[in-house]
Amino acid sequence: MIDVINILKSTEGVDDYRVTSTKRESYELFFVHEKLETVRSTDTISTDVTVYIKHDGKVGDSSFSVYQSMDEAEVEKKVRSAAARAKLVSNESYELPEGGVFSGEIESNFKDYSMPVLAEKISDAVFAADTLGHGSLNATEVFIYKDTVSVKNSRGVDKTQVKYHAMVETIPTWTENGESVELYENYTFTEYDPEVITAEIAGKLREVRDRQVAVKPETPMSVNVLIGPKEILRLLGSITRDISYANVYSHSNLHKVGDSIQSGDGDGITITLKGAMKGSTKSEAFDEDGVSLTEKVVVRGGVIESLHGDSRYAQYLGETPTGNLRCTQMEPGTLTKSEIMAAPYVECISMSGLQVDMYNDYIGGEIRLAYYYDGEKTVPVTAVSMSGKLSSVLSSLRLTEETVAVDGYTGPKNVMLKGMQIL
Amino acid sequence: MPFSAYLESKREDCKELVAELSKSFRYVSVLGSEVHNTVFRVDRRSSTVTDGRGECGFVVKMQNSGAVYEYSLDDISGDKAAIAKKIIDSIEVEPELRERMISGAEITDEPLKQDFVRESDFDSYSEEYLLSFCKELKDKLLAADEKVVNATVSLMPYTTDKLFVTKNRELTQHYGWCNASMMVFYSDGKMARARDGENSHLIADIIKTLPTLTDSLVDKARHLAKAKPIEPGVYDVITDSSITGLIAHEAFGHGVEMDQFVKDRALAKYYVGKYVASPITNMRDGAAATLSAASYFFDDDGVIAHDTQIIKDGILVAGLSDLVSATELGTEPTGNGRRDNYRRKAYSRMTNTFFEPGKDKLEDMIASVKHGYMIFETSNGMEDPKNWQIQCIAQYGIEIVDGKLTENYVTPVVMSGSVPDLLKSISMVSDCAKVIGSGSCGKGYKEWVRVADGGPNLKVRVKLG
Repeated sequence: MIDVINILKSTEGVDDYRVTSTKRESYELFFVHEKLETVRSTDTISTDVTVYIKHDGKVGDSSFSVYQSMDEAEVEKKVRSAAARAKLVSNESYELPEGGVFSGEIESNFKDYSMPVLAEKISDAVFAADTLGHGSLNATEVFIYKDTVSVKNSRGVDKTQVKYHAMVETIPTWTENGESVELYENYTFTEYDPEVITAEIAGKLREVRDRQVAVKPETPMSVNVLIGPKEILRLLGSITRDISYANVYSHSNLHKVGDSIQSGDGDGITITLKGAMKGSTKSEAFDEDGVSLTEKVVVRGGVIESLHGDSRYAQYLGETPTGNLRCTQMEPGTLTKSEIMAAPYVECISMSGLQVDMYNDYIGGEIRLAYYYDGEKTVPVTAVSMSGKLSSVLSSLRLTEETVAVDGYTGPKNVMLKGMQIL
Repeated sequence: MPFSAYLESKREDCKELVAELSKSFRYVSVLGSEVHNTVFRVDRRSSTVTDGRGECGFVVKMQNSGAVYEYSLDDISGDKAAIAKKIIDSIEVEPELRERMISGAEITDEPLKQDFVRESDFDSYSEEYLLSFCKELKDKLLAADEKVVNATVSLMPYTTDKLFVTKNRELTQHYGWCNASMMVFYSDGKMARARDGENSHLIADIIKTLPTLTDSLVDKARHLAKAKPIEPGVYDVITDSSITGLIAHEAFGHGVEMDQFVKDRALAKYYVGKYVASPITNMRDGAAATLSAASYFFDDDGVIAHDTQIIKDGILVAGLSDLVSATELGTEPTGNGRRDNYRRKAYSRMTNTFFEPGKDKLEDMIASVKHGYMIFETSNGMEDPKNWQIQCIAQYGIEIVDGKLTENYVTPVVMSGSVPDLLKSISMVSDCAKVIGSGSCGKGYKEWVRVADGGPNLKVRVKLG
């Protein structure tokens, strides 16, 4: 292995550098129905180098990748080329994070198993859910990853973290009376627990059973809509992306600290961004700059409390870097099951993707499976789309008191969007 | 620009590794991949010139019969017996799983040796010049209107080199493509974003075209700042080329990816030879179907690029396959085996997907609409190949009243419904078409590849929300 850091140190004119490296080992199984079609394994390293040049009171930077195939002369050439590119770039001055040595492992029981054994066990746990007569699991893909991630820079940062995670993609399918329907499931986790895996997949099979008998309801209608964790994360992500240091610095933000994003009588949103969350594949001890990650409340009671983001843009705004925080926690609300059932509602189970457009004050999307409660009975519905005015929805939304923890999110199990239009 | 010197230097290593692994497997291929991507990007307060997402590595595919094995690695230099042993050890399957492997179909290895090059002009421009070009455009956009609060301009030229080796086959290819985009953030009561761009295998084309788009981009931003939400409903709709391409992509592109046929996941499997669209509808896909972002010479399985007619006069005639799917189905592969990168599996994927032009004039199409919308610019979309539902998001629409485009902009525009209903509602097809090569496409929610799509303007009747 070429000593990239030595080359960086010895190249004239390089003021600072950052080297990030990810060694990824994987084992992957691909099924057609329940037959194994493809077995894959990978063992690769990706190394990215950023060179920083100070000139004319400004800072320029440029990055490149180092491939295993490169020899020393090629890396030297890439460093010189990056230094020349960096001189073309004149950004406001900033400093790299300083110091800090860390070596650790994000909690996971995956290390107790070899990858082929773990992949087989996870596959067994997935297919153990396939117990319903007309149900089946198709196109199942099982991925096991071990990532060794390191960041080193010229200011003494030297950090390494080992992260394990698995991803199961499967297509729960229901075939009855000559008709077949399916849903999409993407399940990520860091702890092997066969009962949890089987329960997750079994739940999806029950949902696809309901899609088979789902009907298109009478439309248009205006009704309360419940969204679940995946859609909640999309909604919260739109809010938190808007208030990143980088967005504020470039004048692309809609909100600033102190702004209220809710003006009505709904439950006030309190959002905390975190570096790590138990069982989450998004957990990290440090970000790509080597900034140690903790947590930050960014929205409290519907009011923007603080911005967040990486070291460079924090310096530009005179703020403290939070690093890139990838886990989201929302405080629960007060909405109870009996309150939910006090009026008709649609509970979204599967969407093709919730669309949240803060610029155009829009929230909506296509619903592939939902449960519609008309005040008396609940029926599965499909082939509808919903839309609403985001600002109105935010001001009146309700958060359940019941909470849930999924990959990268803890908080209310459902958020109620009031008065959505269903077509 | 010649074929990658690095991959050329590994040609013999690939052949030696194929020979070594052929002691254990009936079929062995090695794909070497080298992709270099440069990003020039400026906005109001910062700029960058940097390497973008590239790759350099190898993936080995092996089969005796039935199940397929793959192994991805960074380098294949050194002792081939040791590398082969590591590969075989790494793809070991637990005994119980081994009993559940598919059996039967065998990949064939037809002889072919060929080298392909498509020249680009990337080396004709210095990095300093290209960054200055971006900065000048950014300054022009910021100066156009005091309500422009930020503007970004980016250029992303990339080159791809691939080497494919089996016992009987040796192929190399080199080609390049460049995407350019501009975005304006416009604050006038509310904040609006507007974007435009150009793409080509020649930077000269982009340098010529991009500056001509700045005035219309700022004007679009002014309108979008005043845009209102659309009243949900079913409307007569005219699509621009981008939305036409999105329909082609989501409605039937994903639906005819034949690895989904193998898995019984595509309803289209049962509709080959039947009407699936209006009789004035013709649709194609292929890396050789046009020159755009997904125009390569051979796919990641070493299959030569095709030009595949998917829908002819409204009838579904063919699907798109990778090597393994075609082998399992007993059909000819269509050159659609593509990987996100050398670390990922090859699947059946779209390339350049588009509807063919028809005979109608766009002005006649607009004039035929009593009340509806013309909708523009792909935001995103989602397929549902089993149940034939579709969701397409357009950036904006312009209301049509009494056969005339108005000043009333709406945004965003979500088009959803049933694929057959949508395609059978096509009542007019314009005589001009454009394929737009700046897209990327996932399989489900992962496995991203560069794609192009487009076509003529379509008149459809569809649900907007």
